[in-house]
Amino acid sequence: MADFWNPYAALSPGQRKALGIGAVAALLLLWAGLAASGWVSSNRLPAPWDVAAALSYLTWHEGESLLATATLWSLGRLVVAGVLVVAIGIPIGIAMGAAPRINAALSPLLDPFRSAPVVALLPILVMWLGIGEAMKIAFLFIGAVVYLIPMVRDAIRAVPQSYWIGARDLGATPWECVRKAVLPMAMPRIADALIVAVSVMWTYITVAEYVNAKVGLGQLIQNARRFSAWDQVFAGIIVIIALALATYQLMLFAKRKLYPWETHQ
Amino acid sequence: MSASAAPLVQHAEAERRNSISIVLKDIVQEYPAPGGGATRVVGGIDLALERPGINMLLGPSGCGKSTILHMMGGVRPIGVKTPTSGSVLIDGEPCDGAHDDSVMVFQRYANRPDLSVFENVAFPFRLKLWRQRLPEGEWRDRVTQILAAVGLADKKDLRPAQLSGGQNQRVALARALVLRPRILLMDEPFGALDAQTREEMQHLLVKLYNDRPCLVVFVTHDVTEALMLGDRVIVLSAQPARIADDFVIGEPRPRSGTWQRSSEAVKLEERILNQLHKVSPGKGSLRVTV
Ligand SMILES: Nc1ncnc2c1ncn2[C@@H]1O[C@H](COP(=O)(O)OP(=O)(O)OP(=O)(O)O)[C@@H](O)[C@H]1O
Ligand SMILES: [Mg+2]
Repeated sequence: MADFWNPYAALSPGQRKALGIGAVAALLLLWAGLAASGWVSSNRLPAPWDVAAALSYLTWHEGESLLATATLWSLGRLVVAGVLVVAIGIPIGIAMGAAPRINAALSPLLDPFRSAPVVALLPILVMWLGIGEAMKIAFLFIGAVVYLIPMVRDAIRAVPQSYWIGARDLGATPWECVRKAVLPMAMPRIADALIVAVSVMWTYITVAEYVNAKVGLGQLIQNARRFSAWDQVFAGIIVIIALALATYQLMLFAKRKLYPWETHQ
Repeated sequence: MSASAAPLVQHAEAERRNSISIVLKDIVQEYPAPGGGATRVVGGIDLALERPGINMLLGPSGCGKSTILHMMGGVRPIGVKTPTSGSVLIDGEPCDGAHDDSVMVFQRYANRPDLSVFENVAFPFRLKLWRQRLPEGEWRDRVTQILAAVGLADKKDLRPAQLSGGQNQRVALARALVLRPRILLMDEPFGALDAQTREEMQHLLVKLYNDRPCLVVFVTHDVTEALMLGDRVIVLSAQPARIADDFVIGEPRPRSGTWQRSSEAVKLEERILNQLHKVSPGKGSLRVTV
């Protein structure tokens, strides 16, 4: 245990897996124990096996899968909002990072939103956009883009100036320096920003579907709550967490494949 | 047709490289001092470099060597007027911004970690300026040639992280020379390398220089390096920098160990060291390698 308090100690993959699985198993055991003991009423904490049953019910019941339909709808909203975040947020972030004047003009408009309660915007969005899909997508978009833009800007600014100077000396125009020297070097961190943005959207999906969703994971949870079906509420939350985790891992994997040079720096 | 045109083109190019000059006229550089006011870093330099050759710029640390080199390259620090007064003339024309006669090589080689060795060297040809000047087939040939010349032909698909420090500096050198510049500005290019690698790189530079002579300005801390490479050695004094000494070395390159130990070389070494000790007694980081 000489390397217990050592942030640089390398764990073997086996060790890491064992510790992770162990912790999840311990939590499940604790949960099962609490539910079985009867100390906590099943109205407050559904038993793991009840949640599992609810999960199976939602996955397949009477020839339809409520879960699959809900997931597809939520995923669809997320993808549309994600495309907008990429198409609008990333260019703005790059422009702010690359041109101090643009940054000086835009950051007072954007920075406050990072600490502002985005959820409080929901009624305003309803007022402007109604209660349909546009409102939900706009909410997801705003929630994610206010994180993404400053991160993209910082990614650009974190690129050492020597690359800019070097390209300039070789005859690049200022825009070419940004486009061909600074931006490629910032891409891994921009990818990180996108991964954070997508995680943020997963956390907001239930809120986005709070108002008048006919179908979706958030709606599924809310509907279950209305009927005090806590096992289904838990099942819905677990599905969202699992999906968020899966997207995170997938994006991380894609990032490492796209920018294999990053770790060598 | 091309058989007879090629030598002509080469001849014209050599001619262009032979008629080259950098003239500094009463250059003064001041930087804003931390407590307000200004610090005079360069205090009036007149210098004329008027033919191809290797010019070594030597001086104590912080005396303004990089500042002067950047001025010659037209690379301007942000928010500072460079030079404060005086003028830099390239071929008699005032130089007041980045120009494409010169290329710089830095101590930190600034290779792109995301690009292969080939793409690092080919980088200038991804820019509009050079893409317009050379057809793709031609610049690809040039990149291949220069990679062979610096001994990296078999490493062309590796990334900088997979190379040693010396090999990385070869990449940087290749990227500069692939443009066949008339002026090559080097800021302590071999300063971060170990003694043996530094010597290899010095030999490589001499070889490449002989293939295609141009006007080289080479900043160094290393007195031995100055004596081994320089056609001309310019010694600067400490802040504010002025020219403290300026002499020519006639010995042809590559200079042997025997010459290095000759009384001529030893005298020159003492001359430089005396000058540097005079301008910065006990200060500065000078190096003499044997
Ligand atoms: N942009 C700047 N703003 C303010 N001061 C500067 C700036 N650039 C350089 N200086 C100062 O000018 C002086 C000369 O700097 P310069 O980098 O030219 O020295 P140098 O001779 O190359 O030093 P070294 O041998 O350590 O590389 C230093 O004291 C440095 O602090
Ligand atoms: Mg310097």
